[in-house]
Amino acid sequence: MNIENTKAQMRKGVLEYCILSILKDDDKYASEILGALKDAKMLVVEGTIYPLLTRLKNAGLLNYRWEESTSGPPRKYYALTETGQLFLNELNGTWDELRNAVNLVTNTK
Amino acid sequence: MNKTVNINLANTLFHIDDDAYNKLRRYLESIKRSFAGTKGSDEIIADIEARIAELFLEKMENERQVITHKEVDQVIDVMGQPEDYMVDEDIFEDEPKRTHAEPTSRAKKLYRDIDHKYIGGVCAGLEHYLGIDALWVRLIFILLAVFTSGFGLIAYILLWILVPEAATTSQKLDMRGEPVNISNIERKVKEGFDDVAEKVKSVDYDKVGNKVKSSSKTFFDTIGDIILFLFKVFGKFIGILLIIIGASTLVGLFFGLFTVGMFDAVHVPGIDFYEIVNTSGAPVWVVSILLFFAVGIPFFFLLYLGLKILVNNLKSIGNIAKFSLLGLWLISVGLLIVFGIRQAAEFSYTGSVNDKTELSLEVPSDTLIISMKDDAHMDYNRDDIHFGRMTFGYDENDNRILMSDEVDIKIRKSDTDSISINIRKDADGSSTPAARDRARNIEYAYTVDGNEIVLDKYLTTETSNKARNQEVTITIYVPENMTVYFDDSTSRYIGRGIDNDQGFYRSGMAGQHWLMGSDGELQCLDCPEDDDEDRDGNGKIIINEDGIDIDIKDNQDSFEMKINEDGVKVKAKN
Repeated sequence: MNIENTKAQMRKGVLEYCILSILKDDDKYASEILGALKDAKMLVVEGTIYPLLTRLKNAGLLNYRWEESTSGPPRKYYALTETGQLFLNELNGTWDELRNAVNLVTNTK
Repeated sequence: MNKTVNINLANTLFHIDDDAYNKLRRYLESIKRSFAGTKGSDEIIADIEARIAELFLEKMENERQVITHKEVDQVIDVMGQPEDYMVDEDIFEDEPKRTHAEPTSRAKKLYRDIDHKYIGGVCAGLEHYLGIDALWVRLIFILLAVFTSGFGLIAYILLWILVPEAATTSQKLDMRGEPVNISNIERKVKEGFDDVAEKVKSVDYDKVGNKVKSSSKTFFDTIGDIILFLFKVFGKFIGILLIIIGASTLVGLFFGLFTVGMFDAVHVPGIDFYEIVNTSGAPVWVVSILLFFAVGIPFFFLLYLGLKILVNNLKSIGNIAKFSLLGLWLISVGLLIVFGIRQAAEFSYTGSVNDKTELSLEVPSDTLIISMKDDAHMDYNRDDIHFGRMTFGYDENDNRILMSDEVDIKIRKSDTDSISINIRKDADGSSTPAARDRARNIEYAYTVDGNEIVLDKYLTTETSNKARNQEVTITIYVPENMTVYFDDSTSRYIGRGIDNDQGFYRSGMAGQHWLMGSDGELQCLDCPEDDDEDRDGNGKIIINEDGIDIDIKDNQDSFEMKINEDGVKVKAKN
């Protein structure tokens, strides 16, 4: 068991939930999502995010639009779809349960 | 100084120096490979390229700045290694690296690992199964093959036949003891793709790529590669050898079988011998075919093995074929063993019949003449083919009979004053009575003519009695002080162990007169008393099967030494 792997896996497990949460209020492009995740220390390297975004988009939870940028290439702005919104609500519930459960388990020791 | 390259990353132009360019290109290629087969990989790559472009732009202070190693390294640090991109169903699998799986509770299955094989993948498969490095397994097999006279080889061939190859992904996972689930299968498929992709890469890439993987080749790796290469060359050589051996033996056997079959059909005389020797009742063609299979099938597998060594992707002949051949071989060998035992049993007992006759011979001048003739039964036509000393002959009625010159003459001292002759007939059989019956069926004749005993040179018997070591021993009992003369015709038939004062052995006694002494020893009456050597004056040294005979003469001095079965005799004269 490699502790780094375990940590990475824990993070990866909730990564989708985090991405959806970040996009809850307004549309964001990849760098902004990355910034938010990195600030929260959810991400160590950026590479992880791209396949996830594509997966979420392919699953119909996200869509995106192109926007010209003044400083560089055009940006992909991601937004939650309706399905994504429902999905997020569902995950919110699950996360609460999970957090309570984990708290319960880890605190009763 | 370094060359720069212009690249277009997400529709933005960058100047990048050559080294940095190569590094970036490899990085992107490895990412592409890690996404191979993933849905929407093109899009992911495009996103990643866009992000990299963005990161580069952030680092550029002006448009003319060139991207170097440093920037590329920083970007890679931010983006992460290709492994970090992998977000899949297996994120919760605790198996991030391509290490060998530790023994799991899941039962492993033994498969032949054809991806890492040298010959049949048996050892590589055992590596996974036993958790021992294949190198050791191979060494053990080689040692077994060398020290147990081929057991290792046979075991290997058997395993090769019996153990299925891990052909499908799920079998490969079974072989390694990994659970068969979608993500593991996917991983395997991707690994396979990676391997292929890596092989397609240019040599240059391989060189630098190895550096990137930070597993630079050590000196020993290189040595290992060379040894491996030599092994492979050696292997191919063995393969060629096996093919030659296997193929030539099979061809030879095939022609042999064909020839025997033909002989049987057209009744060429030689093949009849099989009939007189054979007892098991199995026709000659059955035994031929059994022999063909018993010898041919192992050689066929040798041939197959050789082909397999030479041709990597040789199609398997299939388990059904392999098992059938194995079965056929076992049956053939089994039947041959049964026939062999029955055959041997025919020779397991020896029976003899004695026929002693008193002869009242008029012996003028006290001399008994023993001679032999071979026209006792008119003209014997002898075939040239023998089984032992048994051959075919034809009697006066042109009936085919068996005849043998297994006839021995012995001389013994008679207890009485008369001459008697004993004919002992011997034959083998599966039991003593059977052998005795067969011995009784031996026909052997002699005639007495005046003072001469004329013995037949051949014993004969019906062909139905078959060749079973039939032999005749004639013992002539001669009273004391009688002279016996062996005619020259007897020379080949005189049995061993006749006492005589000359120390002659078998044929040497022919052509001389012998007097029966009181102690049963024959004394030579007209043997040249060592005179015959005088002719050249220098003497002789003879070493042959009879012993050593040294006789040196120099005018008046002489030295003689004889060593034979009678002992040592030394004589020196001055």
